[in-house]
Amino acid sequence: MLGFELGLLELFVSVLGVGIGIIFGALPGMTATMAIAIFLPLTYAYELHTSLFLLLGLYVGGISGGLIPAILINIPGTPSSVTTGFDGHPMAKRGEGVRALRIGITASLMGGLISLVVLWLFTPVLASVAIKFSAVEKFLIILFAMTVIAALSKGSMTKGIFAGFLGVFIALMGVFPDNQTIRLVPDMFRIGLRDGFQLLPVLIGLFAFSQLFQESEMGMKQAIVKQDMTKRDQTAKFSIKDFKGNFINVLRSASIGTFMGILPGIGGSAASLLAYSQTKNFSKDPDKLGTGAVEGLISSEAANNGLTGGALVPLLSLGIPGDSTTAVLVGAFMLQGVQVGPLFITQNPDLWKTILFGLLVANIFMFIGMFYPIKYIANIIKIPKNRLYPAIILLCVVGAFSARSGNMVDVITLVIFGLIGYFFTKLKVPVTTFLIGFILGRDLEKYFVDSLKGSAGSFSVFFSRPIGNFIWVLIALSLAYAYYDNRKFQKKSRTMK
Amino acid sequence: MLDFKLPIVYSTSHTVMPKIIFGVLVFLGVILFIQYVMKTRKEGGRLFSLKGKRFFEENYDRVKLFGTVVILFGFIVFMKPLGFILASIIFISLFNILYAGKFGKKDLLLSIGISVVETMTVWFVFGYLFDITLP
Repeated sequence: MLGFELGLLELFVSVLGVGIGIIFGALPGMTATMAIAIFLPLTYAYELHTSLFLLLGLYVGGISGGLIPAILINIPGTPSSVTTGFDGHPMAKRGEGVRALRIGITASLMGGLISLVVLWLFTPVLASVAIKFSAVEKFLIILFAMTVIAALSKGSMTKGIFAGFLGVFIALMGVFPDNQTIRLVPDMFRIGLRDGFQLLPVLIGLFAFSQLFQESEMGMKQAIVKQDMTKRDQTAKFSIKDFKGNFINVLRSASIGTFMGILPGIGGSAASLLAYSQTKNFSKDPDKLGTGAVEGLISSEAANNGLTGGALVPLLSLGIPGDSTTAVLVGAFMLQGVQVGPLFITQNPDLWKTILFGLLVANIFMFIGMFYPIKYIANIIKIPKNRLYPAIILLCVVGAFSARSGNMVDVITLVIFGLIGYFFTKLKVPVTTFLIGFILGRDLEKYFVDSLKGSAGSFSVFFSRPIGNFIWVLIALSLAYAYYDNRKFQKKSRTMK
Repeated sequence: MLDFKLPIVYSTSHTVMPKIIFGVLVFLGVILFIQYVMKTRKEGGRLFSLKGKRFFEENYDRVKLFGTVVILFGFIVFMKPLGFILASIIFISLFNILYAGKFGKKDLLLSIGISVVETMTVWFVFGYLFDITLP
């Protein structure tokens, strides 16, 4: 009936994923991306469809967990819950901590479900367009994805583009499949780096180890919990009436989150900020927002969970990851030898159903697992980081080592890219652009070379197809927007100084 | 219309894309440099001075940051000769001790205890249950 297996194992790993995801989401400095990167190696042990339940659970849990510290200590647990604290924390301060948490969790569930519907309806449509793409359009769509991502690296557009192309360059290291010639690899590393750097250690390095270096630089300090906001006497209780009059708000915020997710590279913080500002625009009394208004809290959480389904749309229809977390998910597919792209749904109908169902299950588990025991779950923020990081190091090293069943080169890759990620953050170079360049670099080359082969080397081929020309227009538009937005941002930050 | 041509020759086809990307990187690098020069001019600073610039956070934790790098390096070097279990217990203990920052007897024992349990769990789950290759 379902078209795929659903046993106890799948449900178990989904619960496990959601649980671990919530922990990562709730600890400031640890993200959903990091959780997925660390647990990727574990997916070797399972089939792809079982591991998808785990990974989607980590994704949903990781995005949702961020609301706990945002509300209780006004520190967002993940970037996507920045706006949650605006109204959630004031509520907690006046003794409505549990109510705020429960409203946030319910809004998260709604956002997740709405985005799931969009994913279900929208992906096949986009894929059916993309299926007609030739090498030219495939090349251009990757170029487009890279410009959009760079366009959104606020105030550092050139750095973003540079990082993207650097990622491409590093992806090109190793053997070129057409003529089996190794390039860009120094002679002494010929054997270890024949196929270039492996995706898995690069991912774990960029997202887990770089964070490790940053945290150790800051001395692994714990966020201070001054008083327990959930144990105090509660002045107001959660009731479903809290959502009365917020129907449009939920729908609008979740849609904003979802569609921001569909655009490559935007990420949760931008999505929830936009949804929050729109809620303020439409609100009857906008002055109340920021002082503990239920509206604002609902908007923020509906938007950031809306992102989960949205970010999967470009991944499953075009093969282009929507944010850094889905970029890590690409890794999971690649490691299992499954190609994501326009043909994904038609070639893997079972996996497609698994993804939809896995997301649904994860959202439900997230709700059940957080809503009722929230008073206990809130203690997650007290888990000491200095005891957690050594375990993470161990998991990362084991994961990298097993990437190609036992190769020290991959462990060294892990450390190198950990340092690269650390330096990038220091120099304010966006890591996501670099990663997406790295993931798409080989495809970019293949489609470019194939296009030129088909046209006997003539560059006019890139302007010869109607859909291709349309994508050129999109590229031009995104660059123009980027230039304008970049200017605006720089002016703004100058006046703020 | 102007028509550039770049015929793909089989024997050198592996160099086409790297050359282009390298060109793009140099071009972007120049732009970044020009932007940097213009910015420092505007602010009236000197071009290559490090004054007022800071790489590390203020009052950063030197011991933990460089300790992490050193212990990681040791972990990698000794992983093969010592074997996974022994090397992990030793180096994960070191990480625990470093991050805990307390050196009482109880703290040391706790750190070692944690790493023994973690190492054995990972070894059991990955190496034994899932049959994943460990160092």
